[in-house]
Amino acid sequence: MKKAVELVLLLLLLFFTPHIMGKRYSPPGKPTLTRCRSPEKETFTCWWEPGSDGGLPTTHALYYRKESSERVYECPDYHTAGENSCFFNKNDTSIWVNYNITVVATNTLGSAFSDPVDVDVVYIVKPNPPEKQTVTIMEDKGWPFLRVSWEPPQKADTRSGWITLIYELRVKLEEENEWEMHLAGHQKTFNIFSLRSGGKYLVEVRCKPDHGFWSEWSSTSYIKVPDYFHREKSVWILLTIFSAFIFLILTWLLHMNSRSLKNCILPPVPGPKIKGFDNQLLKNGKSDEIFSALMVSNFPPTTSSNYEDLLVEYLEVYVPVEQELMQEESKDLHGGCLKCERSTSDSDSGRGSCDSHTLLMDKCGETKEEGRHTDRASSRMLTEAQRHQKGWEKDTLTYAHGDMVSPDMSNGRVKTWPSVFSPLPQYSSNPLDKQSSLEMAKQHCLSTSSCLTQPGHSTKEALGPSNWDFCLGNKQPHLLHPQTQVGRQLQAHSEVNISNIGRKQAPAGLQSPALRSTEYVEVQRVNEEDLVLLQPVVSGCGRIEGYPQMPKGKDYSKVKGVDSDNMLLLQREVMEEDWWTGNCYTSSTVNTTQKPTACIHTAMPVQGDMALAMNGYVDTATMCTLPTC
Amino acid sequence: CLSAVLLLSLLSLGVSSQPITDGQRLFSIAVSRVQHLHLLAQRLFSDFESSLQTEEQRQLNKIFLQDFCNSDYIISPIDKHETQRSSVLKLLSISYRLVESWEFPSRSLSGGSAPRNQISPKLSELKTGILLLIKASEDGAELFPDSSALQLPPYGNYYQSLSADESLRRTYELLACFKKDMHKVETYLTVAKCRLSPEANCTL
Repeated sequence: MKKAVELVLLLLLLFFTPHIMGKRYSPPGKPTLTRCRSPEKETFTCWWEPGSDGGLPTTHALYYRKESSERVYECPDYHTAGENSCFFNKNDTSIWVNYNITVVATNTLGSAFSDPVDVDVVYIVKPNPPEKQTVTIMEDKGWPFLRVSWEPPQKADTRSGWITLIYELRVKLEEENEWEMHLAGHQKTFNIFSLRSGGKYLVEVRCKPDHGFWSEWSSTSYIKVPDYFHREKSVWILLTIFSAFIFLILTWLLHMNSRSLKNCILPPVPGPKIKGFDNQLLKNGKSDEIFSALMVSNFPPTTSSNYEDLLVEYLEVYVPVEQELMQEESKDLHGGCLKCERSTSDSDSGRGSCDSHTLLMDKCGETKEEGRHTDRASSRMLTEAQRHQKGWEKDTLTYAHGDMVSPDMSNGRVKTWPSVFSPLPQYSSNPLDKQSSLEMAKQHCLSTSSCLTQPGHSTKEALGPSNWDFCLGNKQPHLLHPQTQVGRQLQAHSEVNISNIGRKQAPAGLQSPALRSTEYVEVQRVNEEDLVLLQPVVSGCGRIEGYPQMPKGKDYSKVKGVDSDNMLLLQREVMEEDWWTGNCYTSSTVNTTQKPTACIHTAMPVQGDMALAMNGYVDTATMCTLPTC
Repeated sequence: CLSAVLLLSLLSLGVSSQPITDGQRLFSIAVSRVQHLHLLAQRLFSDFESSLQTEEQRQLNKIFLQDFCNSDYIISPIDKHETQRSSVLKLLSISYRLVESWEFPSRSLSGGSAPRNQISPKLSELKTGILLLIKASEDGAELFPDSSALQLPPYGNYYQSLSADESLRRTYELLACFKKDMHKVETYLTVAKCRLSPEANCTL
């Protein structure tokens, strides 16, 4: 009784302790077939991986089906291949037949089936590695090489041709990381060349059936290559000797040519070479002697062959009523654009040029230089009309006196300025006036080679040349051409400038009338003495009647005389106007509004007796621009 | 003309002095050809398989359970032992039949990279080679006429009838069977060749 109770209790304990412990059992997890391999195409083995065992002892079983039948077989051998494996021996293995294999895990609570796997033995062959591998060193004409030989794995029946294997081997030096692969094909030997002298090599071989997997690498073979460095050594020795020899030769050559090389690479610093400069004297320290030696007798040149260049010559042009031709002097203002021929003869007609005696020489003299400057400046600027306006302005500003603006537009014609009149003192230097006058002057030095230059139109110059100065020379053959050419050229240029200037002029009444006053002459010809023979413009310019820019109201008066106050007395002449306006002005330009007499009185003070000596014509229009008019 | 005669004489001399007999040479040629065909078959199959999606692949794996190859009626050794036991002639005849069975169906194989008309003529050439080998062997003349008469496939038009059906399954079966059969022929021929070769190690 007691024993029975004890047994029952024990059994109960046994059954319930697991429950008391809290442990739970479950059916086994699903196993999986990992791989199947055949080493020689005669047998094969399959391995599987068991799932969770569910806490209970689990058993596994492998079942397979062959392709052609439904019959299920169980694995014949679970032990030969180890744990969780099934070994199919020769009798159980069929080639070219599909096996459908399943593994079942079973425990007390249940069982689990793995996924079925289809296997064809032909395609799962993975042979064993090659065996009996040997590596030997052999020599080929003094250069060593490795010969590797091996045997196929024992199990693989290559002799009957049941299985054909291809081999591969790999080589590397002991200290390297990368293997060098060589495919050997069906052969069982292989040669390796290009060995490093004294190196230690590792060799491994593996094999693969025609259609299957590569085997594992065989065990490593070690081999040491003997030193054949002695051969290389002799070469090095030879090279060393040879290079040393060459080096010696080079050194000797360098030594021989050291001097010339030195001169080539490091040229000596040239000493000072001043003519007449004696280093010895310098060392001696006598400055007088030194510098006397430097003296060149010819410098500075006291005589100049081109002395004439320095002469400023004026071309004085005037157009008398009787069409008197004037002599002119060429005035070389500036070497630059004005290629003027110089005539040394100071054939000054004395008509209003700065150098002429008819003008007040003092002021002329003073302003001569300035005039020259301005002339030069003007000439320069005339060639590049508008660009130098600023410079021109500066020049004008230097002048104290207001300039009597008498802009003369010469369209290839000479225009005489009332330059005999100095600007009235009332008229403070008006920059605009000067500007305009200079601008006017500017225009005339055109880019054409007809060096038309305007005399320096400074205020002071007003006294002097209000003339156009022609720089004509033999170099200007084109001036000999018909006037029209010149006229056209100049006209084209100056017309534009005229318009510009016309706009620029301030509404100071000074200037606008100035525009109007123009005299026009035409170059008739140039005589042999480089004198421009002028003639007044003949009517025919009727088309310009409506020309807006043409100044109207041209009044010219003959100078009657100079009064005591140095006032230029003008005598108005009617016929001048027609004549002067010529073909470029309508008769309406004759402005009777001009009051010559009044203008006369308000004329600029005349300096010297220039007025009378002039052609006697003064641009009364300019005069009349005076406010007093 | 004279040079051609000299050349021919030299060749004949060379041939006669060669250790490798004609049989050997023919076998080598046949083996190399069948190897090439097997490689072709493998490539076709792998191309086809790679073009499949995983879903279809899983489905197709299951069909291996069935017996679907047209050459299944041809009894052939399925392991080494049987193969070793078979005579060379038997091996040759089986190979011949296998190749012949594929002569027509190979035309319906999808070409892939290689045009399908490549396979059929190669099979014909191989068949011719094997025939030569059979005739060259001792009792080939006797065996051959019998076997050729009996070996009409019962389902001779098996694939013919189904060739119209271009289903995925059919193509898979075709390619798999072709590959297997080519490997069979290769193995048989290799074994036969090695058996005839005087060297012990015939894999060279």
